[in-house]
Amino acid sequence: MRKISIFLIMLLCSTASLIAQTKEVTGKVTDAKNGTPIIGATIKVIGFKNTTTTETDGSFKLNVDGNAKTLEITYVGFTGQTVAISNGLLEVKLQEADRNLSEVVVVGFGTKIKRDLTGSVSKVGAKELNNTPATSFESAIQGRAAGVLVSQQNGKLGQGINIRIRGSASVTAGNEPLYVIDGIPLQNTNLSSNGAGTNSLSDINTNDIESIEILKDASAAAIYGSRASNGVVLITTKKGKNGKSKIEFGYFTGMQKPTGKRDFLDAKEFVDYFRMAAANASRLDPSFDYVAYTESRLKRYSAGNNDYETAKVNTNWQDQAFQDAPISQYDLNFSGGTDKTTFYMGGQVLDQNGIIVRNNLKRYSGRLNLEHKVRDWLSLGVNMSFARTINNRVSNDNAFSTPIQIVAISPITPLIDPRTGLTSGALDLNTGNPNTNYPVYYNPILSVENTKYKTTVNRTIGNLFALATITKGLTFRTEFGMDQLNQNEDQFAGRLTARNQGVPNGAGFNSSDQILNINTNNFFRYVTGFGENHDFDVVAGTSFQKWQIASNFASAEEFPSDSYKKLNAGASKTAATSSASNWALLSYFARANYKFKDRYLLSISGRYDGSSRFGANNRYGFFPAVSAGWILSDEAFLKSSKWLSFLKLKASYGLTGNSEIGNYAARGLYGPNAYGGLGGQSPTQLANPDLKWESTASFDVGIEASAFNRRVTVEVDYYQRQTRDLLLSVDVPSTTGFLSKLQNIGKLENKGIEFTLNTENIITKNFRWSSSLNFSANKNKITNLGGQQIGTLNRAQEGQPLGVFFAKEFAGADPNNGDALYYKNTLNTDGSKDRTTTNNVNEAEDVRIGNPNPDFIYGFRNTFTYKGFDVDVLVQGVHGNQIFNGGGQYMSASGSNGFDNQTRDQLGAWQKPGDITMVPEARLFFANGTDNSSRYISDGSYLRVKAITLGYNLSPKLLSVLHIDRARFYVRGQNLFTITNYKGWDPEVNSDAYADNITQGYDFYSAPQIKTIVFGINIGL
Amino acid sequence: MKNRIFNIIFLSAALILSSCSKELDTTPFSNIDQNNALKTSSDVEGLLVGAYADLGAADLYGGGAFVTADLLGDENEIFWSGTFQGMTQIKNKTIPVDNGFVQNTWTNAYKVINDVNNVLGSIAVVTAAKQDRVEGEAKFIRGSVYFDLVRLFGKAWNDGTPSANDGVPLKLTPTVELNGAADQIPRDKVATVYDQVIKDLTEAETKLPASNGFFATKYSAAAMLARVYLQKGDYAKARDAADRVIKSGKFKLTQANADGIIEEFLYTRAKSEDNTSEDVFAIQVRTTSGTNTFQTFYSELGRGDISINGPHYDLYEPNDLRLNLINGDGYCAKFDNVYGNVHIIRLAEMYLIRAETNKRLSTSVGVAPLVDINIIRNRAGLDLLSAVTLADILKERKIELSFEGFELHDIKRLGVSTGYFTGGDGLPYNSPKLIFPIPKRDRIVNPSLTQNEGY
Repeated sequence: MRKISIFLIMLLCSTASLIAQTKEVTGKVTDAKNGTPIIGATIKVIGFKNTTTTETDGSFKLNVDGNAKTLEITYVGFTGQTVAISNGLLEVKLQEADRNLSEVVVVGFGTKIKRDLTGSVSKVGAKELNNTPATSFESAIQGRAAGVLVSQQNGKLGQGINIRIRGSASVTAGNEPLYVIDGIPLQNTNLSSNGAGTNSLSDINTNDIESIEILKDASAAAIYGSRASNGVVLITTKKGKNGKSKIEFGYFTGMQKPTGKRDFLDAKEFVDYFRMAAANASRLDPSFDYVAYTESRLKRYSAGNNDYETAKVNTNWQDQAFQDAPISQYDLNFSGGTDKTTFYMGGQVLDQNGIIVRNNLKRYSGRLNLEHKVRDWLSLGVNMSFARTINNRVSNDNAFSTPIQIVAISPITPLIDPRTGLTSGALDLNTGNPNTNYPVYYNPILSVENTKYKTTVNRTIGNLFALATITKGLTFRTEFGMDQLNQNEDQFAGRLTARNQGVPNGAGFNSSDQILNINTNNFFRYVTGFGENHDFDVVAGTSFQKWQIASNFASAEEFPSDSYKKLNAGASKTAATSSASNWALLSYFARANYKFKDRYLLSISGRYDGSSRFGANNRYGFFPAVSAGWILSDEAFLKSSKWLSFLKLKASYGLTGNSEIGNYAARGLYGPNAYGGLGGQSPTQLANPDLKWESTASFDVGIEASAFNRRVTVEVDYYQRQTRDLLLSVDVPSTTGFLSKLQNIGKLENKGIEFTLNTENIITKNFRWSSSLNFSANKNKITNLGGQQIGTLNRAQEGQPLGVFFAKEFAGADPNNGDALYYKNTLNTDGSKDRTTTNNVNEAEDVRIGNPNPDFIYGFRNTFTYKGFDVDVLVQGVHGNQIFNGGGQYMSASGSNGFDNQTRDQLGAWQKPGDITMVPEARLFFANGTDNSSRYISDGSYLRVKAITLGYNLSPKLLSVLHIDRARFYVRGQNLFTITNYKGWDPEVNSDAYADNITQGYDFYSAPQIKTIVFGINIGL
Repeated sequence: MKNRIFNIIFLSAALILSSCSKELDTTPFSNIDQNNALKTSSDVEGLLVGAYADLGAADLYGGGAFVTADLLGDENEIFWSGTFQGMTQIKNKTIPVDNGFVQNTWTNAYKVINDVNNVLGSIAVVTAAKQDRVEGEAKFIRGSVYFDLVRLFGKAWNDGTPSANDGVPLKLTPTVELNGAADQIPRDKVATVYDQVIKDLTEAETKLPASNGFFATKYSAAAMLARVYLQKGDYAKARDAADRVIKSGKFKLTQANADGIIEEFLYTRAKSEDNTSEDVFAIQVRTTSGTNTFQTFYSELGRGDISINGPHYDLYEPNDLRLNLINGDGYCAKFDNVYGNVHIIRLAEMYLIRAETNKRLSTSVGVAPLVDINIIRNRAGLDLLSAVTLADILKERKIELSFEGFELHDIKRLGVSTGYFTGGDGLPYNSPKLIFPIPKRDRIVNPSLTQNEGY
């Protein structure tokens, strides 16, 4: 009934306009700067529905209602105009108002318009961020900003995401950027107890974010001095606007799946393969009957019967690691304001199931941003948010209990043991205890069914601020912020997990952490001009930050039954500890921007930082930066250019620091070391009172240009970043009793280019197509490590990029006997490399077999709008990096490690003399080619359709009938397709059990990424 | 009014800043500064306790140093099915120079040595009445650790000339700060290291009390000396040291319970235990501290990576109660308690040393060899012998101490091949493959360290 009435109303409206008297209006739209015609500008009759667009000569012709008074003329990149309808040709001159250049960009302690920016800043706005079906906002940046490499370790929820801005600047200190939300540095501490890091940024509701600015060069970042070497990410949350109050409701729901799976042997292949491996082993070692042994083991893994001989049971264990994974998110927010007060209030519920069994996450969050003008010279405000995140997690990648390790279990093993009717491995009927030798490994399903591991985080982030105008142009702003994080982890593993826990009657732990991070910023800003040609914008102030943590951890065993899950029931307490730590940072900073003739730009900034982490001798560091820009397009010789709309050259140079080391890293320390129930102590750390800041000198030169009425915008940056005085954990002779000492030794460099191209490809009345391409290439090289090499497989080594893979060069199977062969690669006396092969792995040299750092990364976004419809496609990729399969020695080992099920490619193993293959002969327990080598390295390049959104916005007419302001329906796909040569689960990978600065691109039974489709609606009232 | 507010803001900002610079002088909460660590007697005694904790590290006296010695010395008695590649390499006798287990044994050993060097360096701070005990314990630990280092990383005493063969670097002073090239100390000769070991252990025996809780006693030192002298073939001194331990009367063999399980290895549940009457020295494991690495690798309740092969079973006489220490699935059940203490020296070993050395020297210090062997056999539920040969004694030793870390070292001192007791014909006792490589990481930071042959 309602639908019909809407239709009737629409019909009435349209007929009404047909009946009315009309008149013809003609005109021409040109660029005010140079008089060139503007093609495709939209002409709209205010108060009526007819519109048109300009022709190739800028002209338009439109029939309008006799009562129409004004036209509105708009065009992308220009300020819209309204003109009164008059007879004769209407001459409309539009002024440039490029949305890029007039766009306000948030920089440290202030804002700037993009046109005047001399540093390098990438901005990602709310439009790109909103409604990303991912736990954490970093996922929404991926592929959208040049020079920013975002990689998620795996598809477990709320876990580590690595962000590298213009490469890695450090070897052993931190490599993650500094995050600042509404002026307050966020703490980003990993508090996980299970060996796999969590991501505390996932406590932030992406839909609350108005914009993310990524400060990439020294000029932009040096105002954050000591912690800016890895770039700074500024997060600005939404604010209310003066005007009608808005109510927005959003909802999406959908399904998630793994992006990929690996191929493993089925039951028949498995039995045949291991019989072959056993026969080969018996040939090599006749003293032991591997064949009979293997038959007895196959029978054992076949639940003690002979079903394995007929492949009667053929279990796809891999499928058991995954679950159906719905995701839903609900948003409700209110915003608005008067000329004195603005507000934004938002709330969100995210309910996400992981693709991995037993993994799910719920987050409840709320925010209030309020600003009020108390006097004409004084404003006060508050930004407050809270979040409660409940994450039911699984073990780290390197645990028998982690679901993906289920792939090691034999396909001949049934899910349910027919002897007990219970999950395989649950009980041994002989002993009544959990089975300790069936299946081949601990069955992770037992942990899924009998373990809970719940991480609850309560987070409050907020700040209060006051802004006072002292005299004209001079303001003082004071901010006091805090970021409080309370985390509790509660784990209980029941009796059936005994084989994994090593204790018979249940085990549990409880861990609590309280972090308080407070920060105050106090600074003056003075904006003034002298005469027509000189503009100044000066900021100076101080900042103080203090961070403290208090933690406790307790664990117990011997529970009366699985019904008791809290430690009060655990009779044997196995740990009870508490600990605390803190650090403080005191800073003085200043920045001066000077603009001459509105086109010569100069910016100088400096920060003087003192950190409690450094040695008494070198506690303070100074971090200056200078940058300059020249807007050439405003010069007389370019002003008249018909095609060039804007051209700016810019360059910057500056120093930033890194202090992401332990809180007491400069001191000589003793720590507790108990023995036999008695308290003891022992030395834990060597002192280094000279320890000082690691610093990075960055040089950046860039060009920003737009042309053809700003339909094409290009930004190119070239940079060099030289890091020196690396905060390096330097190996020392272990005969000293210590393994390493933190020292300022070594240098590394990053060089790269960034390229961004934005184009408006087609603009017509109903259809618009725009593209944005970003491309960046970074070359990282360690130039000096004081002669040391850190790491064995992933290495930090002089002359090489950070994390480079070194191992033996694999040469495949010996065609004569199936032995794994390696190229010796030892140096001959003439300096050449010995390219002969050997089956003795110790005779072969370690050589560079790959690099986990991509040669280049890119993102390509296309948006299409047609009437109410819009399509947004983001393609993202990395190229030229390699991945090492750390699980290869077990899963792709020619059956030589034991009874781990093998990847299907192992079927290509050597079988008879003359076989040419890269898979050595299958030999049970004769490690044949399982040492780290290029056997396990592969190309990690990928191209991914990261996000596709298809949306429909209800027409204004329909909306007004429904009495709503906005309504949008959409379907969105995340990670839908991936093109890659990588054979593992997913090429975006780094094992959560091993990931650190150096260990990158290392796959170890890592959960694949998440592929998502959601259907959503947004309604605005 | 406006000015007043500004004044307040500026004043408070100035106040905050002046107090903030003091905030940079933070004090650690969970650790303490080294300058405050060794000020009192109890501080130094606490460091000694910490040294025991480090001695009990998983890859050292937690058991790792012995499990790896058994894997390396084994020919055909055990079956390794574990997934730790480092252990697989040791079992296969193809050890790369960066093997993690080998490296950990080395680095953990020097950590303990630095602990006790610090104790000895601060011995003057210790209350006079306790000085001898503290010094004795520190030297017991240092002597024991150097002994295990030199026999794992150096050539056997009976392989060539000990005074010419490289042993391990001797570091006898505490490290307070780094000293550049002075820290790059070369390897001392095997004989030099043995001399230091004997000196430390002898002084320890002199200074230590007869009873000392679960810490090292006079007899722990004597027992370790017996082991050291036996290893270098100094049978008379080995015999006398073992005799001192037995004669002290402080220890007695445990007996089998009604189920035929020798109580020394009785497994009840995951629960920490006191030393048994048979333990001359044991590393303490508690639910909150320590690791029993034997349990980790041997026990079916641990990783169950090592199972027992047929040739080993063939060593036993049918009624041997020690067969009960191999369970139905073929796993060694000596170490099933995850929180069980690590038995480093048992009284049984002393009987066996005394028997062997008396036999070799044709003496009867204490008692005749036959008596000692029958004590062991009696406990194992076997018939008593009426006469005993050296071969009988060695076989009894082999069975009694199996899987407790003796295989490699006995093969070496006896100058036989791996698999000697089970009829296998493996690597000769002096094969370079039966010696650990010097860890790569240390050779990088200390170029004066030579590498062992074959690596």
